[in-house]
Amino acid sequence: MTLIKKRKLINNVALALSLGAMSFGLFWLAWILVTILQLGVAGLSVAVFTQMTPPPGSAGGLANAIFGSVVMVGLATLIGTPIGILAGVYLAEYGRGTVLGHATRFINDILLSAPSIVIGLFVYAAVVKPMGHFSAAAGVIALALLVIPVVIRTTENILRLVPDTLREAASALGAPKWIMIMQVTVRASQAGIMTGILLAVARIAGETAPLMFTALSNQFWSTDLSQPMANLPMTIFRFAMSPFKDWQDLAWAGVLLITAGVLALNIVARILFKEKLTA
Amino acid sequence: MANFTLQETSEKTPPPVTQLSIRNFNFYYGKFQALKNINLDVYKNCVTAFIGPSGCGKSTLLRTLNRMYSLYPEQRAEGELLLDGKNLLDRDLDVNELRARIGMVFQKPTPFPMSIYDNIAFGVRLHERMSRGQMDERVEWALQRAALWDEVKDKLGQSGMSLSGGQQQRLCIARGIAVKPEILLLDEPTSALDPISTLRIEELIHDLKKDFTIVIVTHNMQQAARVSDYTAYMYLGELIEFDQTDTIFIKPGRKETEDYITGRFG
Amino acid sequence: MSNSEHTSKQFDADLEDIRSRVLQMGGLVEAQLMAAIEGFSSGGEAVIDQVLTAEPRVNSYEKEIDDAIVHVVARRQPAASDLRLIMGVSKIVTDLERIGDEAEKIARMARQIYARGALTIPRSIDVRQTGNKAAMMLRRVLDAMARLDAGEAEKIIAEDKLIDTEFRGIMRQLITYMMEDPRTITTALDIVWIAKAIERVGDHAKNIAEQVIYIVHGTDVRHTAAPPAALQGNA
Repeated sequence: MTLIKKRKLINNVALALSLGAMSFGLFWLAWILVTILQLGVAGLSVAVFTQMTPPPGSAGGLANAIFGSVVMVGLATLIGTPIGILAGVYLAEYGRGTVLGHATRFINDILLSAPSIVIGLFVYAAVVKPMGHFSAAAGVIALALLVIPVVIRTTENILRLVPDTLREAASALGAPKWIMIMQVTVRASQAGIMTGILLAVARIAGETAPLMFTALSNQFWSTDLSQPMANLPMTIFRFAMSPFKDWQDLAWAGVLLITAGVLALNIVARILFKEKLTA
Repeated sequence: MANFTLQETSEKTPPPVTQLSIRNFNFYYGKFQALKNINLDVYKNCVTAFIGPSGCGKSTLLRTLNRMYSLYPEQRAEGELLLDGKNLLDRDLDVNELRARIGMVFQKPTPFPMSIYDNIAFGVRLHERMSRGQMDERVEWALQRAALWDEVKDKLGQSGMSLSGGQQQRLCIARGIAVKPEILLLDEPTSALDPISTLRIEELIHDLKKDFTIVIVTHNMQQAARVSDYTAYMYLGELIEFDQTDTIFIKPGRKETEDYITGRFG
Repeated sequence: MSNSEHTSKQFDADLEDIRSRVLQMGGLVEAQLMAAIEGFSSGGEAVIDQVLTAEPRVNSYEKEIDDAIVHVVARRQPAASDLRLIMGVSKIVTDLERIGDEAEKIARMARQIYARGALTIPRSIDVRQTGNKAAMMLRRVLDAMARLDAGEAEKIIAEDKLIDTEFRGIMRQLITYMMEDPRTITTALDIVWIAKAIERVGDHAKNIAEQVIYIVHGTDVRHTAAPPAALQGNA
């Protein structure tokens, strides 16, 4: 009886501690969200989506920055995803237990945990310096370099969740390996791989550091990839640091937009993954 | 029924025809020898069961018959597996062609993440070119043969994963026979199923042996007794006894077999 | 035969229970048969009554053992030596029950003969000796069963021929007897029945011996002229 009481006591203490930890985390998260919402909604208006970033003191919006972010994130995803998926397939299906596989996985893990500013500096040295000026293309490259390791990792992990018996079942019907991979294992992991891509997109959408050394920013509307391009994170960075009230309000609106976008991507990713698990 | 004659009508069953001969067969997982000098004949249109305690090598033996082990580089086989006089272990043998001749169904149902129809068509497309109409016929034939047609004919487009466990396993059997193999290997096909589904599969095995040679690995001795014509008892990588199932279950020749069959095993 | 124990102790206990009950039933039937022969020799009412009152007990043994066998089959799905033991025992029980019936028949006939007040009983000594032989055969076959001794069982099968021969001898003598003195016909016919019953006991004992061989070797020696020589090498 006393043993049971003791056990219950320990259980309650542990429960109280973990509840405390959870509410501590939630508290800050809620605070951040509330602040962003309050300040962001204040700065939000139709003009945010239709007008260019203004000089200080005049009215304007974030249209060029939103466009720039969408273009660069989109292109980076387009470039990074196929490379990431192929490398992930290699690691999960061909590179098991091989030296090359282990090496690739190790390097990818380093890349995955590398601070984004390092990537930014690398692209600055490798692309921006030789070109002689900042460009959206360099920004795309930097973001793609951030996408690739995330996609590789999730693709490999998801493919490894596919039971080997499924691979054997395909082989047992006389399927060559590439057909087995394309039609069975990758297909079984579709939703998981999509989730990985969405999470990668969510990650790069808010990255400032790599863009600082590559795409920089632009006051004006630009669709030229060889020139600096406006983007949300850099604009927020610049505007928030400024002493001007208009700029600060726009920065908060931008923060709200990015937060909402990332949140939406996470939710979609979750729904996709859940569907996969119940299918 | 009506005509009884006192004269004897000799209705002798024809002697079994060997389909696959296993000769002096050894198998290694790396340095560990998992099978030791196995000699065994698998007879045509018969059900052969491999029984024995866990780790005796029965599944290993089954998985060598379609060269499943080739997927894993550290596994190695020696000896002869003769099918139509050809050694299946030959290096120049195309394993994918071999697997069209020797199909396999696994312990857990393994439906592919695609429709019921495509699950069946998957294997057929690998080996044969045919029109949509022919494919429809083949899919129906395989599902009929696997006693699943009536349950799925209205939902062929649905995911194979949406079926129950027993149905999934019959789907896998249908997928295996759709390729029209000569031999069907069943690796503990009912160990993940409830008793009713198990009986359905057993009934199916009985029915399928008219057209296919079947080799089954089972943990369930009674299942071996129910479905098989020949039984091989294996222990620690050796073939202890191979005989007609009736003999194995009524008067086995070896004490080791007797002890296992009667539940006197360690 | 395997001597080691089952992994399931309960299974061992179930089989042991069946075996010992069959031996108990055999003992009872043997006693019944001895008493019947004794009753035939002496005409003692008490002995004859013992035979008749034992009959329901024999019958209930048969039913109990059959029930236990059905239970084991349903729950354990016995195989190989266990299966042979169960199948063999279920047949042995039938033979034992029939032997009980024959003993009862002998006792009733004996009572009838003595009630009729026949002073001389033709061939009485011969019949008693044959009866004792049959009883001995039964005892030995029960022993063979207890020890799972197939060699002994084979000898017993051969001995049944002796009883058959003696039965034919008694029949011939009784026929002569009846032809010489028709007044003895009624009693002689009763004795024919008794002799026939003893002969049947021998047959049942032989059946039991055949089942013992089946239990031990898995060979069916019924309806064969002699146990196959190949049997020897099969152990």
